[in-house]
Amino acid sequence: MQDKITKLFKAIADPTRRDIFHALVIASSALSITQISNQFDISRQGVTKHIKTLEDASLITINSKGRERFCYANPKQLKEVNKWLKFYEQFWDDSLQNLGDYLDNNS
Amino acid sequence: MKDVITKEIQFNHSIDKVWNAITKAEEISIWFIQADFKAEAGYQYTFTANPNEKGCTIISGEVKQSSPYTLVYTWVVGDTNVETTVKWKLESTSSGTKLYLEHSGISKYAGDTAVAMFDSFNGGWDNCISGLTSYLKDLVNAG
Repeated sequence: MQDKITKLFKAIADPTRRDIFHALVIASSALSITQISNQFDISRQGVTKHIKTLEDASLITINSKGRERFCYANPKQLKEVNKWLKFYEQFWDDSLQNLGDYLDNNS
Repeated sequence: MKDVITKEIQFNHSIDKVWNAITKAEEISIWFIQADFKAEAGYQYTFTANPNEKGCTIISGEVKQSSPYTLVYTWVVGDTNVETTVKWKLESTSSGTKLYLEHSGISKYAGDTAVAMFDSFNGGWDNCISGLTSYLKDLVNAG
């Protein structure tokens, strides 16, 4: 599990990979590696490497059709991490609010 | 996406007053969580959430840095063995004190486990972290 989340954060740490993932989410359909290469002006080899990292993190799924490979976004993963961050956001907001009240009441 | 949460808040109080509130055990225990805490590097602290309720979670860690006005400690929830870091930094301003809070290392938490855990929460910490403890225990027993 921990390994999984580490892969996820590694995958989204790179701006190019975020862009590729974003493009796939927006396309809301499969894009071939050729299409992605054209869109991002990076080599096919470069794209292949990035999508492999995204696939390792379960952010995308790759299907082969003939000689071409198609990538689909799987944004569920990101949503899960988001929920997690949201929890602590709320926790610290509440705690700092309490701190403020405490300071005000002890003037 | 980052795995860091940052907060910034302005208080109309002196920097020493805010510093005491975040470093003195008796003050932390009032506004935050029941604390066994000393703002000394190396001190192994313990926060006990709602000690009146059975089975509530303990947060523990080590004070890494404490020099006015920066306080850093590790943050480990229950027996998760997942270490995150909380950093508090204060700065004097013309109208009082600015507080910066940074909670980093959140990506170290287990993925689905953590998510499921937090799904069971509605709102703040006030609900007591006991739900978290029992959840973790269930997970450990199940796993």
